[in-house]
Amino acid sequence: MKKITFTLNGESRTVAVAPHEVLLDVLRDKLGVKSPKVGCERGDCGACTILLDGKPVRSCLILAVEVEGQEITTLEGVGRDGPTPLQESFIRHNAFQCGFCAPGIVLAATALLEKNPKPTAHEVQEAISGNLCRCTGYEAIIESAVEAGRQGTARARKPAARKSANR
Amino acid sequence: MPATVQTRDPRWVGQGIPRVDAEDKVRGRAQYVDDLLVPNGWHGHVVRAPVPHGLLRGLTPDPAFDWSRVVVVTAKDIPGPNCIVSHDRSMPVIASDEFLYAGEPVALIAAPTLRLAREAAEHLRIDFEERPAILTLHEVADQFKHNDPALVKLCGQTIRKGDAEAALARAHKVVEAEYTAGHQEQLYIEPQGLVAEPTGDGGVFIYGSMQCPYFIVHELCEALALPPEKIRVKQAAVGGAFGGKEEFPTWLAGYVALLALKAKRPVKIVYDRHQDILYTTKRHPVWSRYRTGLNRDGTIAAIAVDFLLDGGAYLTLSDVVMYRGILHAAMGYRCDHVFVNGLVARTNTVPSGAFRGFGAPQAIWGLESHVDAMAAAAGMTPHEFRLKNCLVQGDTTPTGQVLKWSVGSPAVLEKSLERCRFDEQWKKCSRGKPGAKSWYGIGVSFFAHGAAFTGDGEARIKARAAMDLDWLAPGRPGGIVRVSSTEMGQGALTVLSQLAADGLGLDLSRVSCPFPDTALVPNSGPTVASRTTMVVGSCVYGAAGKLKKALEQFAGKPIASGKEFDEIASAYLNKHGRLRVEHLFVLPPGTQWDQKTFRGDSYPGYSWGCNVAEVEVDPRTLGIRVKKITAFYDIGKVVNPVLAKGQIEGGLVQALGYSVMEKIGIDRKGRFDASRMQTYIIPTMQDIPEMDLDFVEFPFDHAPPGAKGVGELPMDGLAPAIANAIEAATGLRMRDLPITPEKLYEHSQKNLGR
Repeated sequence: MKKITFTLNGESRTVAVAPHEVLLDVLRDKLGVKSPKVGCERGDCGACTILLDGKPVRSCLILAVEVEGQEITTLEGVGRDGPTPLQESFIRHNAFQCGFCAPGIVLAATALLEKNPKPTAHEVQEAISGNLCRCTGYEAIIESAVEAGRQGTARARKPAARKSANR
Repeated sequence: MPATVQTRDPRWVGQGIPRVDAEDKVRGRAQYVDDLLVPNGWHGHVVRAPVPHGLLRGLTPDPAFDWSRVVVVTAKDIPGPNCIVSHDRSMPVIASDEFLYAGEPVALIAAPTLRLAREAAEHLRIDFEERPAILTLHEVADQFKHNDPALVKLCGQTIRKGDAEAALARAHKVVEAEYTAGHQEQLYIEPQGLVAEPTGDGGVFIYGSMQCPYFIVHELCEALALPPEKIRVKQAAVGGAFGGKEEFPTWLAGYVALLALKAKRPVKIVYDRHQDILYTTKRHPVWSRYRTGLNRDGTIAAIAVDFLLDGGAYLTLSDVVMYRGILHAAMGYRCDHVFVNGLVARTNTVPSGAFRGFGAPQAIWGLESHVDAMAAAAGMTPHEFRLKNCLVQGDTTPTGQVLKWSVGSPAVLEKSLERCRFDEQWKKCSRGKPGAKSWYGIGVSFFAHGAAFTGDGEARIKARAAMDLDWLAPGRPGGIVRVSSTEMGQGALTVLSQLAADGLGLDLSRVSCPFPDTALVPNSGPTVASRTTMVVGSCVYGAAGKLKKALEQFAGKPIASGKEFDEIASAYLNKHGRLRVEHLFVLPPGTQWDQKTFRGDSYPGYSWGCNVAEVEVDPRTLGIRVKKITAFYDIGKVVNPVLAKGQIEGGLVQALGYSVMEKIGIDRKGRFDASRMQTYIIPTMQDIPEMDLDFVEFPFDHAPPGAKGVGELPMDGLAPAIANAIEAATGLRMRDLPITPEKLYEHSQKNLGR
C-alpha cells in the first residue's frame, strides 16, 4: 500500500492504495465518490470519465498511484450550488434518459466548453464521441452542448473557479 | 374508465416538461444499485458450465482450499422446485444434472470480497460429460427446411386467414425470399445488478436494476418456497434496460436470494461487462421465408410466411416473442389469404429474450424488405405499392380484426413520403451506377405495432394502478402514484406524474411518483410491451380522477383550486388517514380473442409508423453511411412530446446499430464472440444520421387520455428501410442483418459471377 495525496473537488485527500488499484475503484470504494460509473472497466464506454487537471480521462484506465499531486474533478464537484448553465441545458433538452452515462458526458462536455466555449455540433461530436449512450441517440446531448455554448453562459465549473466566482 | 376527461389549466398532458428525475441525473445524484451501501454485504459469483451441452456428474471442491471463508450454493440447496416459473417450468435456477448452454450456472459462491469468491470458483472442479450441441440459427433453419426430426421445437403457432396456398397457385406472380438477422445485445450502459437481504421473518428483500418487480416475486416463490408476500422487491435507479432487464433479473435474483438466505447476510452481484454480454439474454435471431402472390392489378393475393426464432436453451418467454412476431409478419397490408407459421427452435446458447420490439422488429425486417420485392415484381415503385396496399380504417388484419379506431394509416406513410420528397429522391438513386464517386439510395418502410399485451394478455393480468392520498411532506398533502411500472430511462415517472396531475386537476407539485416497491404497490404488470403510458397511464389517470371525486364527496363541494385541495385533503387525512383508490384496465368492449386459433382482436389498438432512410455507399470501400432518417409516428395522444421524441431518437439509433453495426456470433465453444464493448460495436455520437421526426395523433379513446405505445416503435422499421435504400444505392439486395461492407462485398462478387 502507498499513501497518495491529491485534490478531489477542491479538497486535499490522502488515501492508501495498492499499486494495482485503478482510480475509479479508489474513488468509488474508498472515497465514496459514486458519480463515476463502472460501465465496462476497459475504457470503452466513458461512464467513468473524470477531469484530471481539467482534462477528461477514463478513471478505469488510470492507476490511483499516478494521480499523486494532481487535481481531480468529479461531477460531485461541478454545480454544487445548483445546476450549471450546461446542466440546465441538458435538463431542458431531455439529454439523458437512464442517466448512467450522464456523469461522464457532463464532465466531457464541461471540459470541451472550457477549451472551446462555442463549439459547433461537429466539434461536440468529435470531442464526446468516446462517451457511449444507449438511450438517447445523442441528438439531444449535442443540441444541449451547442446551445449552452451559443448562450455564452457555459463555463467549466470546477470548484476552485466557483469559489473565486463568488456566486 | 373515467366518464369525463378532466381538463384544467395548466393541463399537463401534451406538455414537453423536463423529466422529473432530470436534475438528479445531470448532477450525478441518481443512485444505481452499485452506488448503494450494503452494510455487511458479501459478493456473489456464479460458477458456470464450461461447454454448451453436458451431463453434470458432480462438483468436487479442492480440499486444499479453505471453504469456511465462503458460502457455496448448488441445486441441492434450493428449498423448493428447482425452476424459474416463466412461461413454463423448464429452466432450472441452477443446473442439477444436465446443462444446456455454455455459462449455465452450476453453483453459486458468496464471499466477503469478489476476489475471494472468484478464487473459490477456481477451486471447484466441474465433472461433466460433454454432449452434442446445436449452436446457430443457420443449423436450425437448415433442419427446418429439410424437415429434420432432430430440430427441437420449443413451441409453435400458426395464423390462418383464407387459403394462402390456393391463392398462391392462382396468383399472377409469386415472389419468394428468405431473410435472416442475428442476435442483438441490449447493451444498457449499467450492467445487471441486484442485492438480496434476508428479512427477519424468513423472507428476502431484493433490490436493484430491473424492469418488472412482480416478475421476480412470482417467478421465484416456488424455488425459494416462500409465499409471495415474503419476497419484497424494490427498484433502484435503472441505467437502461430495453428488455434486457425484463426476465433476466429474475435469474439473478434467484442467485443473490439463495446466497443471501444461506449466508444469512446481504449478497450483491453486479456483473462486469464481459459477464453481462456473455451470460444475459439477447434479441432472438430470426430466419423467415416469404412466399407472396400478386394479382395483375398490383394488389396482394396471398402472403405465406415461415417465421423461425432461435430461442436458445430454454423457452423462457420465447413463445410470446414469437406470437408478437407472427402477428406482425403479415400485418400492415390488405390481403385475404394469409398463412403464418411460427416456431421457436432450441439451440445450446443463452436463452434469447426480450429486447425492445419483442419479435416485431424481426418480423418487420422480413416483411418490409419483401414489400419492396413485391413492388418491383408488380412494376411499381415502393411507395406507390405501399400506398395502394396499406391497411386503413375499416380493413381487416391477418387475424380477422377489423381496424375500427385510431388508425394512423395511411397518414404516417403519406406525411413521411411528402416530407422527404420521396418521389423526387427515388429518381436520383444510383442503383450501382459504375464510375460514380458515391452511391445514393432512399428506402421506405411502413408498419403497425400492436400496443399493449398480445391477445387477451391485458384481460388476464388485470393491471391495476393505485393513487394514495397521503402527506408528501409534513403539512403538504398530495397524490402518490402507486404502480409496479419502473423508470428505466424512458420517462415513466414523468409521464405518470403528468397523467396523475391531470386526473386530479392539480399542479404537478401535488403529485409524486416514487420507484415501485412490491410492499407498497399493486401489480400494474411488467414494464414492457409499450404498455406503460397507454395501459398503466390510463389506470393512473382513472385512479386520480376517482381520488378527486372521493375528496369532493367528502367535502360536499367541487375542488376548484390547489388551495382548496390542500384544505380538503388535509382535513381528510387528519380525520381518516391515508386514502387509496385503484383503477383497473378494461379492454375495449366487444374485444374477442381465441388464443388457440389466433383469430380475433390481437391488440386493443395499434401504433403506426413510417421510416424513410437515405444512405450513401462508397463504391470503393462499400462503406455504408446512413445520412438521414425521416419518420412519422402515430402513438395516439402524445403525453410528453419532448420525451416521446427522445424515445424515438434513441430507439432509431439502436435500430441503426441493428441494421448496419451490431454483429455478434457464436464461437466454436458456444459462447458469444463479441464479449466486450471493444468488439460489440454500438453507434457513437459520430455515427448518427440527421433525423426529421414528427407525430400524427390518432388518440385511442378506450384508454383516456388516448395514448398508445411508443417505446418499441422506433426499433421496428429502420432495418428494412435501410436495406431498401442500400438496394436503391447499389443494386444489391441484402437479406441478412447487420448489413456490413464485408457482406456487401461478398454479395457483389456473387452477383458479378452471375
